[in-house]
Amino acid sequence: MSENTEPTAGTRRERTATQGAVLGAFGGAGVVEGELMGEALKTEHRPPVIPQNRQSFRKWFADKGWRHIVAWLAIIFALFPLLYILSASLNPIGTLTGSNQLFSSISTTNYERLFNDPAVPYGAWYINTLIIATVTSVATVFLCALGAYAFSRMRFRGRRFGLATLLVLQMFPQLLAITAIFLLMIQISDVFPAIGLGTHAGLIMIYLGGALGVNIFLMYGFFNTIPPALDEAAKIDGAGHARVFFTIMLPLVTPILIVVGLLTFIGTIGEFAIASVILTDPNQQTVAIGLFQLVSGFQSQNWGIFSAGAILAALPVMVIFLFSQKYIAGGLVSGSVK
Amino acid sequence: MATADQGTVNEGSAKQSTTAAPANRWGDDPLFKPKKRLTSGGLLALLVKVILLGIIDAVAILAVYILVGKGDWIAAGVLVIVVALVNFVYLRPGLLPGKYLTPGLFFLAIFQIFVIVYTAFIAFTNAGDAHNSTKEDAIAQIISTSQDRVPDSPSYTVQVLKQGDQFGLLVAEPGGDLSFGTNEQPLEEVNGPPDGWDELNLNQIIRFQDEVLAVNVPISDDINDGTLRTSDGQNAFVFTSSLEYDESADTFTDAETGVVYVDDGEGNFRAENGETLTPGWRVFIGLDNFASVFTNEQIRDPLLRVTIWTFVFAALSTLVCFAFGLFLAIVLNHPTLRGKKVYRILVILPYAFPAYLTGLVWAGMLNQEFGYINEVLLNGASIPWLADPWLARFSVIFVNMWLGYGYMFLVCTGALQSLPDDIVEAGKVDGASAWRIFRSIKMPLLFVAVAPLLIATFAYNFNNFGVIYMLTRGNPRFTDTTLDIGATDIMITMVYKVAFGGGGGRDLGLASALSILIFIIVTVVAIVSFRQTKALEDIN
Amino acid sequence: MKVNRKSAIGVGALIAGSMILLGGCASGGSGDDSGDSGDSGDSTPITVWVDIERKPALEPVAKSFTEDTGIEVKLVTKDFATVDQDFISQVPTGKGPDIIVSPHDKLGAYVAAGVVAPLELGDVADGFAEASIQAMTYDGKVYGVPYSIENVALVRNTDLVAEPAATFDEVIANGKAAGTEYPFLVGLSPEQGDPYHLYPLQTSFGSQVFAQNADGSYDASQLVLGDAAGEAFAGWLATQGAAGTGVFNANIDGDRAREFFVAGKSPYYLTGPWNIPAISEAGINYAVDPLPSAGGQEARPFVGVNGFFLSSKSTNALAATNFIVNYLSTEDAQLALYEVGGRPPALISAYETAAEADPDVLAFGAIGQKGAPMPSIPEMGAVWSDWGNAELQIIKGEGGDPATVWETAATNIQGKI
Repeated sequence: MSENTEPTAGTRRERTATQGAVLGAFGGAGVVEGELMGEALKTEHRPPVIPQNRQSFRKWFADKGWRHIVAWLAIIFALFPLLYILSASLNPIGTLTGSNQLFSSISTTNYERLFNDPAVPYGAWYINTLIIATVTSVATVFLCALGAYAFSRMRFRGRRFGLATLLVLQMFPQLLAITAIFLLMIQISDVFPAIGLGTHAGLIMIYLGGALGVNIFLMYGFFNTIPPALDEAAKIDGAGHARVFFTIMLPLVTPILIVVGLLTFIGTIGEFAIASVILTDPNQQTVAIGLFQLVSGFQSQNWGIFSAGAILAALPVMVIFLFSQKYIAGGLVSGSVK
Repeated sequence: MATADQGTVNEGSAKQSTTAAPANRWGDDPLFKPKKRLTSGGLLALLVKVILLGIIDAVAILAVYILVGKGDWIAAGVLVIVVALVNFVYLRPGLLPGKYLTPGLFFLAIFQIFVIVYTAFIAFTNAGDAHNSTKEDAIAQIISTSQDRVPDSPSYTVQVLKQGDQFGLLVAEPGGDLSFGTNEQPLEEVNGPPDGWDELNLNQIIRFQDEVLAVNVPISDDINDGTLRTSDGQNAFVFTSSLEYDESADTFTDAETGVVYVDDGEGNFRAENGETLTPGWRVFIGLDNFASVFTNEQIRDPLLRVTIWTFVFAALSTLVCFAFGLFLAIVLNHPTLRGKKVYRILVILPYAFPAYLTGLVWAGMLNQEFGYINEVLLNGASIPWLADPWLARFSVIFVNMWLGYGYMFLVCTGALQSLPDDIVEAGKVDGASAWRIFRSIKMPLLFVAVAPLLIATFAYNFNNFGVIYMLTRGNPRFTDTTLDIGATDIMITMVYKVAFGGGGGRDLGLASALSILIFIIVTVVAIVSFRQTKALEDIN
Repeated sequence: MKVNRKSAIGVGALIAGSMILLGGCASGGSGDDSGDSGDSGDSTPITVWVDIERKPALEPVAKSFTEDTGIEVKLVTKDFATVDQDFISQVPTGKGPDIIVSPHDKLGAYVAAGVVAPLELGDVADGFAEASIQAMTYDGKVYGVPYSIENVALVRNTDLVAEPAATFDEVIANGKAAGTEYPFLVGLSPEQGDPYHLYPLQTSFGSQVFAQNADGSYDASQLVLGDAAGEAFAGWLATQGAAGTGVFNANIDGDRAREFFVAGKSPYYLTGPWNIPAISEAGINYAVDPLPSAGGQEARPFVGVNGFFLSSKSTNALAATNFIVNYLSTEDAQLALYEVGGRPPALISAYETAAEADPDVLAFGAIGQKGAPMPSIPEMGAVWSDWGNAELQIIKGEGGDPATVWETAATNIQGKI
């Protein structure tokens, strides 16, 4: 049995044959509905009947109830360390993990300092961060989509090699990256100060250098799951490659576009090593740079303010994830080919 | 859902294209035979292409003009080549993959590849804090620091005078007399500023500061008595040089002891007795950095243990993150689960916080005596989570899982949503159970899509400096080496500590060489795993 | 080469048009540039690198300098943890700052990298505390102007223990008598120990890290860490660690020590002025005591001095030297920096003014005068690491005989410098 059931740009005939081989390897085992493991518990062959109460609770539990339990356990596990951060942000003089008595003193001093202390222009930082992260993610998604389309739909010499190379290049240990990038930016500043040192545009360009990496692989994989029949249908109608890309492919791979965008967004918000070298004017800096400066002083870390700032900085991520859920919760592939 | 009709149509056109074999300029795939002429997309596309390309070209020409103006031929040359390539790709019909890949490749080439090339370049030099700059800078610095103020000499108040392009100092001696001198003319008494010489105020002094700082007025005819210099335009002191630089012989000679320092070819001025002058400068040393890995037994002996642990750490971290992320993605993937959105957001929250902060929280929670885990959860146990070698290794992987599962969760969630339903439907129609469907249809599809991602995550964890450094700094230290290497050190942290933490400041050359070695190892592993997982096999 | 003709023509036309436009802008722009440097008018500003904590202190000082001389001062915030490395990397490129605000223990690294220029202070030096000028000196040359001195001291909760004590044993006795959970607190690090905080106790045994020259500076070529006095200290340390009285606990890090002290769990806390604001805000009545002697001799802490250094490749060296030597050394500037930073000023007259108003400054400063500046040789990183690890092992009771552990560490360190 071939593991390779992924649809390629080959003919549909091939794929159907593979499917058949895959499925033929098992026997059937009963009617199924819904998904996955919950249903594994149910092996009966009965047609659905109107459920009685006792039955429905068991059914509900087998189908969804256990999921709630697992989810809550996972949430506790995920959020517990974050409670320390929340507690530190509400404590005017406390340390980060000095005391296990969380929430011993509640006050909003730290949050106020974020916005009132002239040495901590958090508002400016926040806006800068949003701008940089948004532009970087949108550009990254676009560049990767372009590249993934090429790798997925076109055949050319060096394709396999190129894809592997892109991935491997990103694996280089970047110990010296900061020095190298600084030198590069000096050169650029000499020619075009508007995109050089100290500018957001320069920083975004640096981030785009790392755009074509794992992300293009992710997209490549999902471009491949779209049957080439769609492309062909469009081309027969006279669409050029660009139109196919924009009107057919992109909408279909929206879930992975959102995922890549979100991952890039999170990564950019948290990046501070390169940003702190490029941006030196406090009003141009990002949240990551600003907050790290607060805690890197010798012996006098302001964990309270840092925590407050970090919590506020995590909000856009949550908001975007909330709104993007309906795109990720897709199933957009089905129905489009008909 | 694709129907049988479509299948037939597909076959039909496939047959057609293979028999037609036209002079096809759009990639090589016969399926993409265009109906229209090239520059597909019509007028709008043409306009967009022309405008964008025109702007790029214009900007590039301007940049080349500026670079040439500064005499930076290398950069100008590189820019010309790059822009010519871009033009070639977009103006030539065909080369469609190039057209799609060029924007991304452009940034990659400049910012990523340049970094790699630069690192490779540095690896063959002795660059570092002790050999920080060029030989000219080093010589200038040595000269500047060898100016000793003559002991017990007074501090003079001076004024800077200027005549034409000559500068001199008007000195107020402690007794009240005035003297004046220039570089050529030693100090001599005057009654006031000489004729033709203008006094400079502070702003003017600052404007001409390069010349003012170069003023060295001999205080007498004997040069060995010293010269008068000012560094702020208001006060001056008498200096003698303890080191003389002989430009023709390229040596420094100590004025007092007569010891001669010669360029030793390795970036320092060295005397016969081995003493060197600081600073040194950067020179090529060829493969010395690479060789030191194998010859320096302090590095060599623990290297094997650290390497093994690096592989194990990267593999386990990736596996554990993936398993947990996938598990949660599956659990929360039910179409009608209530509260799904909220669950997803909460579960991904750890990933939205900077790892620096959350890593430190974990380090605090794992404290042997006071950490939450020991004190509260385990009721006062005293388990050395970060101090015992094996527990520390476990802790590091565990915390890394907490930090990284959000990423896998996101990806798997997107992946599960995007799996083509037609195959699943076909499976259901054929009568497979949900578990079977998962195991044999979804998992393989998922895996093929995600396999490269796993490889990339492996590589990321291979070089995951942050987690190790934050939690344990690589400790607990090995007891059989004097270097600061420990049980949780991975290769990259070892490189950091050896190259940056050793005596003499940062050794960038050594760090670069070790980085390249690590890169080679990671690349080999990646290529081998690509072959194994056949992740690229479908490209046939 | 096949090129699509329409596109090529279109591109060519666009290039020509843009060139004319851009060319015009460029020549206009570069004309302005060349015009500027020659004329009078705005002089180039001085760029100062400072971390986010000290920036507020420098702002008023910079402003009055600009008012007095017309030279603009640009304050750039940098991340404290990497500012020294960035400075070393960026100065050779010509894009570094003119001045850097830095603690003195990085001076050795700066000199070895050739990135700081010597300064001649002249009479100005006489007004400063001797230890501070020593700290600014490396290899016999002065490189900076100091502005603050900091060192540890023994902070006592006066509600728990009323009177100061002179020896360490008395301190512990007082602490136990107070009935609190801990008799004594000092923040260590469970990963690498903290030789900086324990140094005063070490010097009270007569043990130092390097031999001191006549003028008080350290002779980096003579490591005396492993001498008999050092072994005596090591032995004593073991008796106070996990295998003994447990006074020193490696699991209590800086954060925890502060939390415990603020919660009243100990009457004594060995720390520096950086924690005083938190202590006083928590409402603790405290006093700053001299450091107790454990080995019989005087307990002399490490002194950390912050100062201003001049970049060796500064393009505005004359203005920057003016700023540093003539301006930042005045009493007004030193007091302004003290107001925001809270550390005892390095200028003696400023220190006396500050000490009159603030007894903490007086107390810390008096202790600091007996201390010696931390060694600033470039190899200190390796020294701290091995030294700290040895102390950590001894405190935890691992590694066997403390004297042996100590000696091994000393030998290792000797091999690295």
